[in-house]
Amino acid sequence: MADIEIIDNGILIATLQGELDNHEANRIRSHISSAIYSGQVRAVIWDLTRLGFMDSAGIGLILGRMRDLAPVEGETLILNPSTTMEKIFTFSGLGPNIRHCTVDLAIGEIGGVLHEQ
Amino acid sequence: MNNEMTLSFVAIEENEALARMAMTCFITPLDPTIEEISEFKTIVSEAVTNAIIHGYECDGKSLVTVHAVIEENKVTMTVRDEGLGIFDVEQAMEPMFTTRPFMERSGMGFTIMESFADSLSVESVLGNGTIVKFEKTFSPVPEASRMR
Repeated sequence: MADIEIIDNGILIATLQGELDNHEANRIRSHISSAIYSGQVRAVIWDLTRLGFMDSAGIGLILGRMRDLAPVEGETLILNPSTTMEKIFTFSGLGPNIRHCTVDLAIGEIGGVLHEQ
Repeated sequence: MNNEMTLSFVAIEENEALARMAMTCFITPLDPTIEEISEFKTIVSEAVTNAIIHGYECDGKSLVTVHAVIEENKVTMTVRDEGLGIFDVEQAMEPMFTTRPFMERSGMGFTIMESFADSLSVESVLGNGTIVKFEKTFSPVPEASRMR
């Protein structure tokens, strides 16, 4: 299950719950993509704090949305993955995008970067 | 404890969750840690998803068969399909290689399976199907860190 919210400064927050596999990724992909293409989205924060399971479909989903964001050089942060998920992200080169912090701190980090641009 | 099971289901995406759930129940008597369960579920999910979407292209009628054996604290599992088969197994196992980039498959499935399993082997014949076999040992751990 994905809860998608776009806050004022163009940051999309995707809060994921339950199990993110190939089936679930196919279900939520277009919702997140169309939110990004609706314009104004400059960054995506994936809040995985309450996600119970994820396999490589999650990697495909996140890399795909990073491609959607590439034209605006949008940032991607991945918050609070489990130990197993963190290993999967690291294998896939997404280690540098991981943060263990609150959504507010992540917004602050991206907000700061956007402000500098 | 020794145990054995076989589960067959048609190739639809919904059955990825079924396979994960069934296999998680099957290994519960080994008293695994949360991380062991999570890694095991990931291997199952990758192997079964491959069979459903690559082996059978989600045809909704062909059967994927999962077979598992528990011997002491080791699980040996095979995921078998009689589908399309893999053209080049070595290439398929390379990180980031995928035949389905447009479906946003990351190409990380085999890399993840190899990392989380003790051993992994893949047998495939074009037009005849694929068998993925892996072993995972669940080590005894201090009582305090076990999931109850």
